[in-house]
Amino acid sequence: MSQPASLYDGVSARAHAVTVHAASGGLRLDGDGWGDDLPSSKLQTLSEESGRLRVGRTDIGGWSLVLNEPIDPAIIAILPKRQRYGGLIDRIGLVPAIIAGGLITAFVVAIGYVAPHWIAPHVPLSVERRMGSAVVGDFGPNRCRDANGQRALEALAERVSPGATRGPDGIKIAALDVGMFNAAALPGGYIVVFKPAITETNPEALAGILAHEIAHVRRRHVTEALIREMGIGALIRMFAGQTGANAEQLLDLSYTRADEAQADGDAIQMLRRANISPKPTAALFQGLDKEAPAYSAEFLQSHPLSARRAQRFAASYDPHSKYQPVLSREQADALFDICRRRQ
Amino acid sequence: MRESLPIAATNAVLTLVTLFVYRSWAKARSRRYLWSHTRFIDDQLHWSGSGLEMFIGFVIVALMLGIIALIFNFGLPALALRVGTFAAIAALIGLYLGGMFLYGLARFRGLRYRLSRTWWRGIRGGSDYGGWSYGVKAIGYYLATFFAAGLFYPWAQSKLWNERWNKMSFGPHEFEANMTSDDTRGAYFMLWAALVIGSVILGAVSVAVGGQPGGPNPLVLVVFYAAIGLAYLNFLTAYYQAAAEWTRIGDIEFRFTAGYGDWLKFYAATVGLAIVTLGLAMLVYDFRKWRFIAEHLEAYGSVDVDSLTQSRTSAPREAEGILEALDIGAF
Repeated sequence: MSQPASLYDGVSARAHAVTVHAASGGLRLDGDGWGDDLPSSKLQTLSEESGRLRVGRTDIGGWSLVLNEPIDPAIIAILPKRQRYGGLIDRIGLVPAIIAGGLITAFVVAIGYVAPHWIAPHVPLSVERRMGSAVVGDFGPNRCRDANGQRALEALAERVSPGATRGPDGIKIAALDVGMFNAAALPGGYIVVFKPAITETNPEALAGILAHEIAHVRRRHVTEALIREMGIGALIRMFAGQTGANAEQLLDLSYTRADEAQADGDAIQMLRRANISPKPTAALFQGLDKEAPAYSAEFLQSHPLSARRAQRFAASYDPHSKYQPVLSREQADALFDICRRRQ
Repeated sequence: MRESLPIAATNAVLTLVTLFVYRSWAKARSRRYLWSHTRFIDDQLHWSGSGLEMFIGFVIVALMLGIIALIFNFGLPALALRVGTFAAIAALIGLYLGGMFLYGLARFRGLRYRLSRTWWRGIRGGSDYGGWSYGVKAIGYYLATFFAAGLFYPWAQSKLWNERWNKMSFGPHEFEANMTSDDTRGAYFMLWAALVIGSVILGAVSVAVGGQPGGPNPLVLVVFYAAIGLAYLNFLTAYYQAAAEWTRIGDIEFRFTAGYGDWLKFYAATVGLAIVTLGLAMLVYDFRKWRFIAEHLEAYGSVDVDSLTQSRTSAPREAEGILEALDIGAF
């Protein structure tokens, strides 16, 4: 049975009136100067809408044959099935594809979330240090370079965690003349303390902050965050756009909070071993909690709630312990003035 | 809506369970559907772009943007620490200018790609241009708009519209666009004034009530946002009408017939549907918008089907990666 159809040849927009019928292994076109045998391997079903079936050729762009319904079942039998969701999903079916996809996605996210925690301890410190020094260099013009102040800062770190700044893998610590209350552990065992964290607190509270950052370095939390950022972070941001970035931030936040809590735990132990009172650190967090908006939002968001942290530090206070001052009077003065003179 | 919802819903589910990889295929599928339901004179359009080509384009550009993000996150802080703040600011400005260039390039190439995959009666569109000079000019127009506090926007927008469309073609015919800001300026200034004056009033009100936490009266805020929304719709009305009126191809001229009331009805329905369906209707928003535009876009003139021969432009291979990666790729 033959059927009328319109043929566009892909050369001009003129419609050619042709008749189509099913031949062995393909379609036969006749009329308006056409006499073609088309093997079904060269045909593709383009669309089936509003009572019209559009058939294209895989080898000639623009070539299309439009058939109006009802269409001879023999013709339909010859045409390849129309692509619906995409090649692979059409083959395995929608529901199996959704289930398989869901499982793979859950697996990938889980690995991306957990794996950095396993990998981080195995990254050689020397590699991380090279990366860190590429970014940090000598901390640039904002570094506070007073020699006595620097010695006092390092003495404070040594007091909190003896040996921390020595040896090839020693922590490098610097004060920066930046007007923001913050401190951070950077890749490669670098710790930076911003000026207000020195001048607007006391050495005991700063000891608590330093202990916390030293714990981050020791536990390889920075390395972990870096790997997660380069791995699943990049993946999610690449594919999921802004929504994904927000979701990732939540994921990231919940995880770094676990890291933060761990670093606080370590810090409390360090203070106890060094005979330093945890009370000033607790008071600092108490103050942060009250004056929240005055400080960097970032510091607050990625860290556990300040009030809870304050409680934790306060609870570790032992009234029977004989706490020692962290720095001598001269050292404390030198530290306070670390950003005053620049060399 | 009844036909497009299953498409939108399965697209959304597949996109989620494939870590967003399916996005490109979802887009191809939506477009195949929309194009085949859009009739021009006596034949439906056909979309021939594949999910795979869009995905490849997207991956290439995402990698490029990834490198830029690395520079942004590590290079700039390193520069600030090692060379100085000034060098970092200079580099930041460079990055922003580069970003504007990429955005302009993306808009041009996105349009070129979409035309090259759009077929009508077996003929497709395209462009012989790469969009590089468009990207450079776009920087200038964006900067002028920025420095004039947004007041140059209608002028920049119409210039860029012409700049894009005058380099596009369908078959052997070139598009001609002669849009000016004459038809859109008034509506845009109203929108601008609503924003600026509204903000000033809002600021004054919150000072008057003593700047207490919680901000100004919610009613004042509602009036403010409603005024801006209405002014924006007014601008959209003028813009679509002007763009259609001043763009032509061969003997074909266009009219966009949607008036202010039509736009108002469309967006009122969008908000209403979203509320009634608890947001589910937003899945089909793009379909509804397309239908709204297709229903109101009219073409006049005649087509000589024998002289409408195949396009000789080379079909781009890179799809619309930048548009996709920047998340600005509408239909």
